[in-house]
Amino acid sequence: MSRRNVELALLALVGVAATVAYASVYAARFHDLRRDSVVTGVIFLVLFLVIHVAERRYLAQADPYLVPIAALLSAIGLTEIYRISPALALKQGEWLLIGVALFVATVLVVRDVHRLDTYRYLIGALGLALLAVTIVGGTSVNGARLWVRVAGFSIQPSEFAKIAIVVFLAGYLNQNKEMLSVPTARLAGVPVPPLKYFGPLLVMWVLSLFMLVFMKDFGMSLLFMATFIGMLYVATTRIAYVVAGAVLFAVGAGGAYQYVAHVHERFAIWLDPWHTAATSGYQLLQSLFAIADGGLVGPGFGRGYLLYSNHVPTVPELQTDFIFSAIANELGLIGGVGLILLYLLFVWRGYHIALHAPDGFSKLLATGLATVFGLQSFIIVGGVTRLIPLTGITLPFVSYGGSSLTANLVLVALLLMVSHRSLVVEAGSSTERLRLAELS
Amino acid sequence: MNRAISRMFVVGTILMIALMANLVWLQVFHAKSLQSAPQNHRLIAQQLRVKRGLIQGFDGSTIAGDAQHSGFYSRTYPQGSLAPQIVGYDSVRYGLTGIESSMNAYLSGADLGTQGLIDRVLGRHSPGANVRLTIVPAVQKVAQSALGSQVGAIVALDPSTGAIIAAASAPSYNAATIDTSFARLSKSPDAPLLSRVTQGLYPPGSSFKVVTATAALNLGKVTPTTSFDDTGSYAIDGGKVTNYHGEVFGTHDFTQALTDSVNTTFAKVGTLIGQQALIAQMRAYGFYQTPPLELPRGMVYPSGRFKGPRLLSSSAAMNPLDVAWAAVGQENVLATPLQMALVAAGVADAGRVMKPYLVQRVTTPSGAVLQRAQPSLWTTATTPATAQTMNVMMQQVVNAGTGTAAALSGIQVAGKTGTAQRGNSNVAWFIAFAPANDPKIAVAVTIENTQFTGGDVAAPLAAQVIKTALAQPALP
Repeated sequence: MSRRNVELALLALVGVAATVAYASVYAARFHDLRRDSVVTGVIFLVLFLVIHVAERRYLAQADPYLVPIAALLSAIGLTEIYRISPALALKQGEWLLIGVALFVATVLVVRDVHRLDTYRYLIGALGLALLAVTIVGGTSVNGARLWVRVAGFSIQPSEFAKIAIVVFLAGYLNQNKEMLSVPTARLAGVPVPPLKYFGPLLVMWVLSLFMLVFMKDFGMSLLFMATFIGMLYVATTRIAYVVAGAVLFAVGAGGAYQYVAHVHERFAIWLDPWHTAATSGYQLLQSLFAIADGGLVGPGFGRGYLLYSNHVPTVPELQTDFIFSAIANELGLIGGVGLILLYLLFVWRGYHIALHAPDGFSKLLATGLATVFGLQSFIIVGGVTRLIPLTGITLPFVSYGGSSLTANLVLVALLLMVSHRSLVVEAGSSTERLRLAELS
Repeated sequence: MNRAISRMFVVGTILMIALMANLVWLQVFHAKSLQSAPQNHRLIAQQLRVKRGLIQGFDGSTIAGDAQHSGFYSRTYPQGSLAPQIVGYDSVRYGLTGIESSMNAYLSGADLGTQGLIDRVLGRHSPGANVRLTIVPAVQKVAQSALGSQVGAIVALDPSTGAIIAAASAPSYNAATIDTSFARLSKSPDAPLLSRVTQGLYPPGSSFKVVTATAALNLGKVTPTTSFDDTGSYAIDGGKVTNYHGEVFGTHDFTQALTDSVNTTFAKVGTLIGQQALIAQMRAYGFYQTPPLELPRGMVYPSGRFKGPRLLSSSAAMNPLDVAWAAVGQENVLATPLQMALVAAGVADAGRVMKPYLVQRVTTPSGAVLQRAQPSLWTTATTPATAQTMNVMMQQVVNAGTGTAAALSGIQVAGKTGTAQRGNSNVAWFIAFAPANDPKIAVAVTIENTQFTGGDVAAPLAAQVIKTALAQPALP
């Protein structure tokens, strides 16, 4: 079976799963079953079929698993959002439509990821600008400054900035990887590369600290820094960078813990939510209580206790940051572990694409995208389950939020483009080789 | 580069496994403790969304009902505060007690048989099942008002079935306002939340002589006409047993000893039968066992010999003076009002003590019966012949002895008074059953902190309850 047919078969399965899940919520809500549930499943499937058709046309050799995984995650997310609030689900559905359009546009406009390498400084600057806009003109939600209002839409620029910065880093690190790998100086007996190549490391460090202090966003700060260190490690294969980066980040975070009240509070809640059970620890405790109620299999979609009788969620921000708690509540351990496995599967395909990518830039790009995606999932799931301190960040494809959904569809598009190209190059198409030669 | 990418994936896998392991911890191993954390109100909040089953009296009237406001249900008590220590409260803050707690699976709709299963698949909240108690509201009300401002308990049951007809504890409380009054109630020295009927442990005093007499008659050591001589004091083992208020009765028979409650004679009888026979008779009446009422664990106490709060083993050593005092219901013997009512019931029902119960039946809102009371034997106290002898002797207590205040015109009451000393005051007792020739009701009345005797303050209350109960159109 060709890669695209595998994808189509998997998408059909996702369509069935989405229909069943939606029907379950519908039955729980209205104590009845109607045609609507099937119709909704079909509409959902059609949106992903648009992506599928675009792939058949332009990315025929791309990885067949990423889109079905993304579709299944979106189906789970949309169903859970519908279960929490049908009005929000409708808006998320509209965002999915925009996301699909953005996916197709990315494929059509970019065509070849190497063109992004050409514009890496512009893209890097764009990423920084997006973050700057958030700091200057952003509004605070839950103590973190993350949102920008544009023409009635609330946009979270950091979701797009993360992709722009990964693209920039892939280009920059690919170009300078030899220089960064060769130690020419010694610092306290430890061989280190020339100081000027430490520039980007320091820039990223300052950037992540800025995010921590001015956006009060520990999650994004950790995400950027960790992704950068991961990409630097892959580019140079030098573990010393990982150690240095971790130390730098720890120093910065330690300082923030001392001087930024918001960060301090997050740590205090993590260490002892019980002490402030009625105030700052309330949200995390309610999340843990909801998860504990899920048990092994959970009561099923739409059947958990997640809303008070006035339709207010029992966990504040349930539809965004805490969507994982809602799913773990209704689908139990089986559902929670299944969801984590889906993210692991996605990350595996991402690194798999990186391994088989034909050139350094593509490898670094795929590595960066897979890392940023996996880390984001880890940070929020770890946060709502109290494995690590909680920071507000979306769960890719599942959380309510247009920026996250559309940005992650673009992320998938870029990964698929790398995947497609590596197979085409392996196949040895002469025209492709020519084009590659032209580009480099 | 590829090795570095593979290593990245290994790190990513480890992080994801950490997430899954943490989830297993939360949802499997730590779940129970999270669910029962005092900060976690999810369980009760969920139950508040379900129309809770009614708790009804034996006559079908509602004791605990439902009121709905803004999607939540709360308890109402249309008959006022009726047996709150037995019925229990239902509080978001303080949880459930009494029948509300022990029958929660039915009342909350969690256990409704196949209909419940169908409802759950369609996500319906099935309303809870109704629990009908054996408590007869008319009798319960009389028992409660008879206690008035005194501290004490009254329990009435059907000796032939074990059904509890009334169970009153005073002082009492109002379950409707538990959320605002709990702090005060739980600190009150008079313990209004305590179910004195099942949790109040008192020295039974002379009411315990029924147990001693049963043992002695069973063994053939005495007959109702056996003669005794009283000098006001019985010396034994370096100590002595005296009569209440130092009275001297002279020569009398065993029936007279029970009628006038002669301590010295019962102490002598205790010596005569010995520790083993006395304890064995206590066990035969149900002492040393927890009466199997449908109440939460810890809400029903066993009776027996105690050391502090601890129930002593039935084989714990006693010296002869201990046995003599135990035979008159003092020493370390403690009993709940329920246990003493079961002693009266055992005599009334020809030596059989039936399993006491509170729940008559449980029905779904659509009328299907989920549970129905099945009266059964709990323990055999004595032979029908001894029981009949005791019955006659106890009639004499009411007709011509310490219990004349319990006499009713047209109804032959049989009973036994008790006045146990505790600190500077008395615990006054009266246990009884009626009508003596065909007993329909057995009663125990206990009054704490009184300067009076069981015959003065407890016997008239027993008479009131018996009279009301026998006037009812139907008893369980």
